[in-house]
Order: sequence, then C-alpha cells, then structure tokens
Amino acid sequence: MSILKEVRFLLQKELVLEWRQKYALSGILLYVLSTVYIVYAATQQVQPHIWNALFWIIILFASVNAIAKSFTQDGEKRQLYFYTLVNPMAVIIAKIIYNALLLGLISFLTFAAFSLVAGNPVKIASQFAIALFLGSLGFSIAFTFISSIAAQAKNSSTMMAIMSFPVIIPVLLTLIKLSANSMRIMQDTAIWKDIYTLIAIDGILIAVAIILFPFLWRD
Amino acid sequence: MKKSTLLLFFLQLILVFPLSAQSDNPDFFRSIGKIYVVVAVIMAVFLGILLFLIYLDRKVTKLENQIKENE
Amino acid sequence: MRKFWWKYLGAAILVYVILAGMLIPLKPGVLEISPSTAQAAQTMTFTVEGYNTNYDKASSSIRAWLRSDDDHGLTASEITVVDYNTLNVTFNIPKWLPYESKVKYFSLILDNEIDGASVLPSAVSLTQEVPNLARAKALWPQGNIKDLHTNEVISFPYRNILYETIRNLYFHVSLWLAMMILFIVSVFYSIKYLRTFNKDFDDKALALTSSGLMFGILGLITGSIWAKHTWGTYWTWQEIKLNMTAVAMLIYAAYFILRSSMEDSERKSRISSVYNIFAFAALIPLLYVIPRLTSSLHPGNGGNPTFGSEDLDNTMRMVFYPAVIGFTLLGLWISTLIYRIEKIKDKLYDRV
Repeated sequence: MSILKEVRFLLQKELVLEWRQKYALSGILLYVLSTVYIVYAATQQVQPHIWNALFWIIILFASVNAIAKSFTQDGEKRQLYFYTLVNPMAVIIAKIIYNALLLGLISFLTFAAFSLVAGNPVKIASQFAIALFLGSLGFSIAFTFISSIAAQAKNSSTMMAIMSFPVIIPVLLTLIKLSANSMRIMQDTAIWKDIYTLIAIDGILIAVAIILFPFLWRD
Repeated sequence: MKKSTLLLFFLQLILVFPLSAQSDNPDFFRSIGKIYVVVAVIMAVFLGILLFLIYLDRKVTKLENQIKENE
Repeated sequence: MRKFWWKYLGAAILVYVILAGMLIPLKPGVLEISPSTAQAAQTMTFTVEGYNTNYDKASSSIRAWLRSDDDHGLTASEITVVDYNTLNVTFNIPKWLPYESKVKYFSLILDNEIDGASVLPSAVSLTQEVPNLARAKALWPQGNIKDLHTNEVISFPYRNILYETIRNLYFHVSLWLAMMILFIVSVFYSIKYLRTFNKDFDDKALALTSSGLMFGILGLITGSIWAKHTWGTYWTWQEIKLNMTAVAMLIYAAYFILRSSMEDSERKSRISSVYNIFAFAALIPLLYVIPRLTSSLHPGNGGNPTFGSEDLDNTMRMVFYPAVIGFTLLGLWISTLIYRIEKIKDKLYDRV
C-alpha cells in the first residue's frame, strides 16, 4: 500500500469513528459555546483588540483539549494493530490532516458564535480567513506531535499543556498580529512577511514532525 | 569539598553585601558612567555559575554515598 | 593535561575577557550640556560636561560647534576650561536658523587633540522668531566642521544612556550566543542518539541542555539588570527577544519535566531526544523570525538580527568574539562534568 492510500484509509477511519462517537466534537463545541457565553456575560461590550486576544485564547484552549486525546483514545491493542499494518508516516499525516479539519471547523464555529454575541470587528475578511487557515494548520501540526509525545509520558494531560504552550507561542503571536491587521487595529504594509513566517513555521514543524514520528512509534 | 564551596559562598556574600547595601540609593548604579551595572552583571554570572557548582557538588556527594552503601 | 587543554584555554580566554573588558577605557564623550534650550539672536554660554576627557591638558586645541542635520555648523565664539571634564562654551547664535521651522534640535560637536572628536546628538533646541533660510545659510556655513582629530588610544565606543554598560556586551550578549551554541550541539547529539541508540549520546545531550539552560537563566537575569538601568524597567513587553528567550527557557524546562515523568530508561532517552529536536525547531522562529516582525529595543532589528558595524567596532570585536568562545568552552566544561555524573549513575543503576 502506498503512503497516500494509507493516509486516505486512516483519515476515513478517523472520520467514521468521529461520526459514530460524536462525543469529541460535540464536547469541544459545547466548551466553545460556553466559553463564548461566559465572555459575553462578563464583558458585554468587547473592544476589537480584546476581541482578538479572547478569540485566539478560546481557540488555543479548545485546540489543546481537542487534540490532547488523539493518541490516547485508541487503545494499546489497536495501536499495536496499526503498528503492524501501516507506515508511521501515514499515521502522523492522517492525524494532522484530521486534526486540521477539526480545528478549522472549530475555529469557524467559534468565529460565528463569537461574532454573534460580541460583534464582528473583522475588516479584511481574506486576511482573517488566511489567519484562521494557517492557524488551524499550525496548531494541528504542533499539538498532534506534542500529544504523541505526551501519550508516552505519565499524566499526559499535564505534559501536553506544559510542552505545547511554549512551542505554539511563535505561531500564536504571529496569528494575533495578522488578525489584528485584518481588523485594522494596527497597520502593517508588509503583512505578507507575517504570512510567509507562518507558512515557514508550519513547514518546519511538519517536516520535523514527519521525520521524528517513526521514533515515537517504535514501542 | 563541601566546606570549600560554603566558604566561597560566604566570601561571595561579603563581597556582594556592601554593594546591595549601597544600592538603596538609586543614583549609586548610575554613578561613574553606570559602571556598577557592569559589576552587578558580572557578579550575577559568577554567582549563577557558583550556585550551579554547588548543585553539581551535591549530586556528586549523593552518588558517593550511594557507592559507599553498595560496598 | 594534554587532553584537557581546551578547558584551560576557556578559562584563560575568560580571564582575558574580564581584564580587557573592564580595563580598556571608554572613548571620551559628552555627558551633558546645560541649559539645553536657547533663543536665536542671543549670546549664550553653555556648561558642557565631558566623560573621560582631558580638557585641561588640551585646552589650547579645543573647538566646538553646533551642528544642524544637513551639516550647517556654528563655531563657538569662546571656550573656557573649568577642569578636566567641564567646559564653558559661548555661542553667538544668529537671528536666523538654517530651517523653515521655528524650533529645532542641534547637536554639539567638540574636538581637541588629545580626546579626538565627540558628539552629543540633539543637544540644544534653538527657537527663532521669523525663519529666513537664505540669510541663515550665510550665517551657518556648510562644511566648516573639519580637521577633526581622531583618538588613537585603544578604547570602547562612547554611547549616551549606555555609557560604561556597553561592556555588558561581553558578559550578557555572549551568554546568549554560548547558550545557542550549547543547544545546537545538544540537538546534534540527540540526532546522533536517534541514529545509533547509544545511551552516551543522550547523556551528552542532557548535559549540554542543562548547562545551556543555566546560561539562558543567567542571560535573563543579567539582561534584566542591564535593562533596569538603561531602559528603566526590569522586564519589558516591547523587548520581544527577552520574552522569546523566556519561552525558550519554558521549552527546556518542559524537557526536564518530560524526562522525569518517564521511568523506563530507553524510552526516556528516545522520547526526550525527539522532544529536544522538535523544541529546537520551534526555537528557531522564536529567536530570529519573530523579532524581525515587531519593533524591539535590541539593536539590529527590522531586517538584521545581528549587531551592525555601528554597534560593534573593531576593538569590541577583539573582546566580544573571545568572550563567546570562552563562555562556550566554559559551558562545554560544565557539560562534561554533568556527563560524567550521568555515566556514573548509569553504571550504578545498571542502565544501558
């Protein structure tokens, strides 16, 4: 089986599992909705720069929660089964794609819910869409890989938080700058540099993740 | 081994204490072209390396005790 | 002895760095001028305070100018020496300034045969009633500031606000570079471990990470001491490089927590090597890409993350590069100590 086929097969498996269980996605959505509601109840009127910060913080915590279990939910036996069956590279690529799709959905729904209760300060929609897309991709790559490391350690949920927050900060800061620019809070004529930076960080992280993942898979 | 590091540590305290006592005066660090900022930085580096040495020393002592127990 | 030559070399270099870094004097400069404002069409005597200067010995050759941005100069009419670092300089300020605007800053240029030329940028603000550019140009001749002396004594550059703390370049900035070198070597050993699964390489990576982390923490402490006395705060959110390095410290602290959260020795080495490489890949954008995006107080931002030629002159290079090498060798020395402790532990607990 070629890697592409394996990726497609694994992706299908993830989607089917998600569809059957539903609790993961619905749990995260409930989390997002309740956070948005609390933010609305606490602030009522949200300034654009606070909107920006709160939005990305909600997305950050939702993503960590959504991805933290991506390697622990498959039981050990099922993991052993995959180990004999498929290429580890296919496993990580499939998980990253699946998580990116999941995060894309979550961030879009968060955006919808948040602009419903707190207003929509976005002025340049295309820039914000790029930020959302590159953000979900970057979060997905970093968190998926970190969760595969954390799955090997004792009390993996704490380890997940400790290891993933410092790793994600460069992506997060660039994203906040990019979306601030799309809301015209700040003006930067060379905003393309930030987009290239994000693409470069995503590229570096995905390359390193794909190269290193087989070593985590070796048990 | 341990005694010597303790001695060094106290030497350090004696050296640093007059500095910190005078630094209540905000102009102290700004006197003579802010040279005392450089002194403070060098002291910080020196103290940091010293604390690290003490930490290593304790690690080695632990290992020595372990080896003695094994014998 | 022959085997450990580099340790003694490192110590010798550090001794040289401390001696040279502390003993070489700053170039003479101008500390202050008072008053700092004056009116046009006024004869004004300013008191100028110098730093490291020899005004009393060079009293016959002292010259002074007020200079505009486009090189219009006004020569001082009278200069009296009070003592070695104090001058009274009198200017006959003309009725018109070489500008269209009413208020403008002028820099002060002093020159004498012993100290060479020194500049105080934006020293005096002058106010004029009615601008008249054509007549002002005759009174403020262009290019009359010439035949400046140069100071031949070996010295470090004089910068306002920084003053003597420019020496911290050797004791603070070199720590950062040594830290990065230690982390790079540590990543190199982690890669080597993943290729060979030889425990020695993981022990080496661990040892280098610990000493790198120590340098990082020292860098943060010394950086905030320096920042307090030049920028006014211990910690600034403007200074992205400072914050980014704090994040790097978090990454490597997580590395140690990760190690302690696993029992099995082989798995511990393998997983932590993987995390070391991944964290370093995340560290590269942290330290070099992000500071380019935001305004920062560190020199060389906005396209060029290193010291420009203006900030690092040849005399400073003669001390700065040895400082980096010296601190790196010291870090490697400390790392070998930790490595040897780890090896003894491996033997003691029968880890392979």
